[in-house]
Amino acid sequence: MISLRKVTKVFPNGVTALQDVELEIGKGEFVFLVGPSGAGKTTLLRLLFREEVSTSGSVIVNGHDVGRMRPRQIPYLRRQIGVVFQDFRLLPQRNVAENIAFALRVIEVHPREIKRRVAQVLDLVGLSDRGLALPAQLSGGEQQRVALARAMVSRPVMLLADEPTGNLDPQNAQDMMRIMLEINRLGTTVVMATHAAHLVDRARQRVVAMGDGVIQRDELAAAYHVEVNR
Amino acid sequence: MRLRTWAFCLNEANQNLMRNPVLAIASVTTTAVSLLVLGVFLLLSVNVNAIANSVESQVAVRAFFAQSVPQSQELQELQTVRGWQEVRIATLVTKAQALAQLKKEFGDQARVLDSLGSANPLEDSLSVTARQPQEVKGLAARLSHLGGIVHTTYQSAVVSRLFALIDGVRVVGLVIGILLLIGSLLVITNAIRLGMAARRREIAIMRLVGATESLVHWPFILEGLILGGIGAIVASGLAFWSYVAAYRSAVHSLPFLPLVTPSPLARDIALLLLVLGILLGAIGFRISVRRLARI
Repeated sequence: MISLRKVTKVFPNGVTALQDVELEIGKGEFVFLVGPSGAGKTTLLRLLFREEVSTSGSVIVNGHDVGRMRPRQIPYLRRQIGVVFQDFRLLPQRNVAENIAFALRVIEVHPREIKRRVAQVLDLVGLSDRGLALPAQLSGGEQQRVALARAMVSRPVMLLADEPTGNLDPQNAQDMMRIMLEINRLGTTVVMATHAAHLVDRARQRVVAMGDGVIQRDELAAAYHVEVNR
Repeated sequence: MRLRTWAFCLNEANQNLMRNPVLAIASVTTTAVSLLVLGVFLLLSVNVNAIANSVESQVAVRAFFAQSVPQSQELQELQTVRGWQEVRIATLVTKAQALAQLKKEFGDQARVLDSLGSANPLEDSLSVTARQPQEVKGLAARLSHLGGIVHTTYQSAVVSRLFALIDGVRVVGLVIGILLLIGSLLVITNAIRLGMAARRREIAIMRLVGATESLVHWPFILEGLILGGIGAIVASGLAFWSYVAAYRSAVHSLPFLPLVTPSPLARDIALLLLVLGILLGAIGFRISVRRLARI
């Protein structure tokens, strides 16, 4: 599903965000990307949906060489990838259902199909009764669930989440985590960058720990920190 | 794109316009004014051109005979000239007729000519008008080669001064029109850019969820076309109807002026303004599109 080979990313200002990164993620996996700020987690995610291009090495996503993709193919790559950010990025003047529908309207899905799918994802994130609410009328946890619903409504094969619980209280963070694990259980590959050690420890999934632009640890069914007595 | 996608783009464009109505009105107004000025100058210059052409065609070439040429030969030459294709009217002006004409032109001062006594220093001449203004020069040359002709003249100075005036009007009109067009282009560009800034969240999300770049662009292209198009419709409508009205009243009050009829001129100018306005909108988008890439 995802394959990074000797990927290096150097920004124009000279900062090296990633250094010879090698990473394989299979279909249906759930992977936590952990590590301190500036470790390269966000840059790695951004390479996957072609928001950034690697300086060297190859990034293969769902069979596409993302770095060599022509600009006009990028939208079609992104339709296969759902993305959630720490700051929900909802459109404030549109209600919940419209925010989610927007993602389908701009890729020209039939209105009847849009209606059906919006109802489905609202059900998935537990917000079936909040379709007509504006983002400002929702709690942070609810807003992030709307963002998650929008990411999932195009039925992507892969969900990328960059600190999705960073702005949420512990209870909402747990709810969010539960829904993401459910999405993974239904077959979507999930890559989640996070600092939330307690969530990682409870979920017991694969953990890729990064620091200074390199992968320092890659363990299955692991915890946030290295466990000495395993 | 599908029809409902066009509807989506149109709706987005409309929202941009409604978000900043003052700027939208300013764009439409400046476009309308600049196009209208351009249109008025075009109509003016076409008409002044037509008047000048008719004046030039009325300019007679005078070919003067030598004193020794007998009248029979002069009449023979007149017949020859009348047979030429480019000649509209040709008449023989005897020196007696010329003197009478001169006296008439002198009016009150005609007494100065009395000092000539019975002598008439003038020459017989042919007065010839061309069918087409541009044939005048060639006609003069041809006449000079005729038997018995000493020299030829035509009032080229008047005509060339008139044409210089027309060129002046045309240049001034074009310069003012182009400056105004640049002004309205800047206002339209500004309106589109503000729309882009206001919609940066939408644009970011559209790209994130896989909207094609053309779908990102179209609302702004439509915005430019709407602003330029409405301005152009106003300008071409005003130019068309005011020309038709001006022509109607001029035909009655100034029947001697050879004005150009509104059809097809006014229609063509109106179409030209419409195309220019739409072009303004499209160029406004082109200028703004680099900013879109940076969002």
